[in-house]
Amino acid sequence: MGVKVSQAERMLNLLALLVQRSQPLTLRQIRNELGTQYPESDVAARAAFERDKAELREMGIPIEMVTLGGDHAGEGAYKVDRRSYELSDLGLTKAELDALKLAAATVRIGAAHGEAALWKLGGERALEQPLTSVHIELDHELMPVLAAGVMDRRVLQFVYNGENRRVHPYGLLARGGFWYIVGFDELRDDRRTFRVDRIEGTVITGAPKSFSRPDGFNLAKAVATEHELLGDGDGVHTQAQVLVDASLAKRVRAEFGDDAVVNQRADGAMEFNIPCANLAAFRIWLFAMLDRAEVLSPPEIRSQVRGWLKELAGGKRS
Amino acid sequence: MTAKRVGVGRRRGPRGAAERVSGLLVMLPWLVARERVKLAQMAEQFKLSEAELIDDLMMAAVCGVPPYSPDALIDVFIDEDEVVAEVPLLFSRPLRLNTAEVFALTSVGKAAMQLPGATATGPLATALAKLRRLLPSSQDVVEIDIEPVAHVEAFTAAVESGEQLRITYFSAARAQSSERTITPRKVFEDGGHWYVTADDDRSGERRVFRIDRIEHLEHTSNFAPVEPSTTDGDLGDDGKWFKDSLQRVTLRVQPRARWVVESYPFVSRTKNPDDSVDITMAVSSEHWLGRLLLRAGTDVSVVEPASMRDVGKRTASAVLRRYG
Repeated sequence: MGVKVSQAERMLNLLALLVQRSQPLTLRQIRNELGTQYPESDVAARAAFERDKAELREMGIPIEMVTLGGDHAGEGAYKVDRRSYELSDLGLTKAELDALKLAAATVRIGAAHGEAALWKLGGERALEQPLTSVHIELDHELMPVLAAGVMDRRVLQFVYNGENRRVHPYGLLARGGFWYIVGFDELRDDRRTFRVDRIEGTVITGAPKSFSRPDGFNLAKAVATEHELLGDGDGVHTQAQVLVDASLAKRVRAEFGDDAVVNQRADGAMEFNIPCANLAAFRIWLFAMLDRAEVLSPPEIRSQVRGWLKELAGGKRS
Repeated sequence: MTAKRVGVGRRRGPRGAAERVSGLLVMLPWLVARERVKLAQMAEQFKLSEAELIDDLMMAAVCGVPPYSPDALIDVFIDEDEVVAEVPLLFSRPLRLNTAEVFALTSVGKAAMQLPGATATGPLATALAKLRRLLPSSQDVVEIDIEPVAHVEAFTAAVESGEQLRITYFSAARAQSSERTITPRKVFEDGGHWYVTADDDRSGERRVFRIDRIEHLEHTSNFAPVEPSTTDGDLGDDGKWFKDSLQRVTLRVQPRARWVVESYPFVSRTKNPDDSVDITMAVSSEHWLGRLLLRAGTDVSVVEPASMRDVGKRTASAVLRRYG
């Protein structure tokens, strides 16, 4: 092969060579075998080889390096054991592959990993969109590293609420349109839940298998529901009395139960006791009703609501 | 097909070497398992043009181990309109799934398990059990919690049968309920909420309804012709499922408030250098937008259209009247 070839072709040839040869090969031997595919200058050839090697490793091909002895003492030699990258047969049936195909088509994740996984398993991606679909964003830039953390049990380091955290991630949970990471927070010395989209900056991962998860840990129960969130905070006041107009009162009663109703007015409006220890969550719940709901007491919460409204109505901004 | 969000698929400009090689390492075993596949089908499956696929396969065909005698090559060729790889050679076993792939497939499987029709003993459940072997431990490390919503199953069935349904729908935009007859066309979930796209007899238009706002549902036993499944009804397609007639609004969202807006379906999203995000969404009414702005506070502002820039201010003033 005395012709110039593309980098893609050279990478494939390099891989084929390292897989086929039973003995590790030095870069010198590789260049002898691949002829002029690598540049003539030693420096340029080394740079090109390093690039090829890094990209192949990135694809999941473990290129091992051994240091030779004897005549070649100190020289690095490379080999690839195909058993180390080939998928063992999971024995998926046609029906199982079809079920995964339908699942991958139905559940849109905004990332191509599901399709690539299906292809590797011998399946196909659906070319038609099914009639029912679910959207779960997996394309957050941190998801791959967080997934690696929970799956390989690596300690994660990141900044959250302006503080450095070291977290043993027990699991990832998707609820209500958000991803949460649940785990043991070394800073707080307790279990904590972190919203993935609120992690600041990058995440550093530690070595695999560096912690174990407590027995009986239940991931599904580890994160509060939207409803539970209202009471999940450190506010001074834990309950607010809220008047809801007749047009919405029944819906609020259905959500919080009869016990939450303090008073029913003649016009159908109702007064409720609503948890408000988490003021941010309370705001979102309250303002969804716009002017059909009003905080009656305590005065501090009523004043806080008025403050929020004044801030927006003040005219400083849109 | 739309492939906008898909990394392996459409790209602008020439494809890099790594992309071509990693693509081949996935495609070759897939092809060897099938031996013969129509060129057009394979190109569509892998989101390549036929020319790109031929280029890649031809490159693979001349690769191999020195001294490049015929039996050392990757044995792939094109026979009229078919791609053929009948002899399993060097790259005939698939690569292992990487962590992101196992995680993604497990996630979609777990989410789909909560949809109508999935059973604990069905093929999806057994497939997920087999996938567990790829996980480092037997513990569940991912949970997808899709809120069960009444009526989802009824709408899914109606999409398939074409049955028209009589519904009482609570419009959050107008804060009132209305009765209408709809022909469901598609059911989907986004950001934690279920929606049904349906032909609406009141407006004579195709509309999107949030299923948890449907207060009452009645079967009519009237059936409309069923539409074939189409690809232009999903979120990956630039939000085409929103009526074009809906007003579009672009909001600037500061990082602190991003989660508020992520609760709503959007049409497009652009990240700004200062980490704020511009989101364009279809807005059903000023009322609806005002509600969003009030919930989000000062971290969200309207960029376009200019006529909506004071919606937040006006809404806040209106609500403030209740507080004297």
